[in-house]
Amino acid sequence: MANELAAFSAELAGVVERAAGSVAAVHARPRFSSSGAFWRPGIVVTAEHTVRREEEITVTLPDGSSAAAALAGTDPGTDLAVLKVDAPGTPAVAAADDPAPGNLALALGRSEDSGINATLGIVSAVSGPWRTWRGGRLDRYIRLDLTLYPGSSGGLVLNSAGQAIGIATSALSRIAGLAIPASTVNRVVDEVLARGRVARGYLGVGLQPVELPDHQKGLIVLSLEPQGPAAQAGVLIGDVLVAIGGAAVADTDDIQTALETTGVGRAIEVQVVRGGAARSIAITIGERPRRS
Amino acid sequence: MRGFGEVAERLRRSTVQVHSKAGRGSGSGVLWSSDGLVVTNAHVARSAELEVELWDGRRLPARVLTRDARRDLASLRMAATSLDAAAAGDSSVLRPGELVIAVGSPLGFAGAVSTGVVHSVGPIRGMGNRSWIRAQVRLAPGNSGGPLADAGGRVIGINTAIINGLGIAVPSSDAAEFVRRGPRPSLGVTLRPVEAGVLILDVEPNGAAAEASLKAGDLLLLSLDELYAGLDSGQPALRLRFLRGSASGGRLPVRETVVRLGARAAEAA
Repeated sequence: MANELAAFSAELAGVVERAAGSVAAVHARPRFSSSGAFWRPGIVVTAEHTVRREEEITVTLPDGSSAAAALAGTDPGTDLAVLKVDAPGTPAVAAADDPAPGNLALALGRSEDSGINATLGIVSAVSGPWRTWRGGRLDRYIRLDLTLYPGSSGGLVLNSAGQAIGIATSALSRIAGLAIPASTVNRVVDEVLARGRVARGYLGVGLQPVELPDHQKGLIVLSLEPQGPAAQAGVLIGDVLVAIGGAAVADTDDIQTALETTGVGRAIEVQVVRGGAARSIAITIGERPRRS
Repeated sequence: MRGFGEVAERLRRSTVQVHSKAGRGSGSGVLWSSDGLVVTNAHVARSAELEVELWDGRRLPARVLTRDARRDLASLRMAATSLDAAAAGDSSVLRPGELVIAVGSPLGFAGAVSTGVVHSVGPIRGMGNRSWIRAQVRLAPGNSGGPLADAGGRVIGINTAIINGLGIAVPSSDAAEFVRRGPRPSLGVTLRPVEAGVLILDVEPNGAAAEASLKAGDLLLLSLDELYAGLDSGQPALRLRFLRGSASGGRLPVRETVVRLGARAAEAA
């Protein structure tokens, strides 16, 4: 009678059991642990907001043993931290394709006391690239309708086939838990392992949206970082930016997107209106100084 | 999904409401046997005389057979036959992610069903070294004492508490052991865990601790978890080291006493 229900239940438990071998507990803040996932062999990814110290970080491995972890780097913008853990034989997860709203989602975490834990819900919304309030960019906005209990941030979000949709975080949205998409995790892990951080592009200007007399939109330069990339390229206070990299700008978000796609260290062509005359300036994109 | 309605309905018929006679507070309970044995939480069965309301509205008087405040379990007996006893599940094979169903009377709504998955199974820090079931089911006051069942409707736990929004249930194997063997031995004290050990705040007259000459203010030199493990070990006596303050001050000697634990109550039902 209830065979279908029992079979579904066993299937869910099976998905959890298979993926449990890639989920660790991360001890990187006082009192409360968080969760982390073996994203690649020897590489554990967790939520950056749960990492409150840079040294003496340990993880509880899927077999219950404890191991030291070295912080390879963090990207606060996407709320990701990357740890190196010497744990041979611990399998890494396989990434999933983009989910669709309504797909089942399982969030997996681990605590030292009670081992693996699971919550079930659905993916409630998926949309295109999304800028977090922390300034990073997620390749997809994946909102979850499931409860992320304390300690489950940094854990795995799985689809019903047991593939990783992404990493769970409760810190990027006030209204719901999000999955940091697998493609974003891959990008951040690559950059952190190569450079120890995710470099964010920087012009050194303070901008304000304005409308020009011909109804064209632009961004007026209100402040200029001395010796910053824009200042060195000859940008002056009062210049109005109307295009960057060949695309018109209406908002500071357009600048961020252009800087991300071009990359730190490369030159980008900026159109400005100065004293009513248009001119073109090439700025070499700098790296945003990190807040300490 | 096909079958879910039947599973939930069967479970509802094995779930009762437990009312205290004074009219204050009520909870839920599980029909453990068809001849009138009910298992609920000790914090639901506070008074000796209770009233049990069945799913069909019948109200029957019940008395408390045994209570175990530490495990928060109580068994009740009422005069009835041919009741819809709950099917017993096996809590030892639970896996995180498994579907679970909870039935109870949250905030007075009788027979309310909530569903979710097993979150985790294991000890909870500060609550002894016994295992608890944590379930992602929405519970409210009034669910206490009611059943947590697996996808087949078999009872695998007794809903007991809510911590951080998670339902906490006593595994059904513990409930079955409690029904079979009665409450576990108790010291007969009120305790507060402190840095150095466990402080005795109060001693019940004629309890095991009083018989062993322990007094309020004594500091037991072990952790709460160790104490509970000792009480649960099944040994007839427990050797405890403790400190007792003295008026003269100075360095206190470590004292020792042997607490005789009463045998478990004979066959409970």
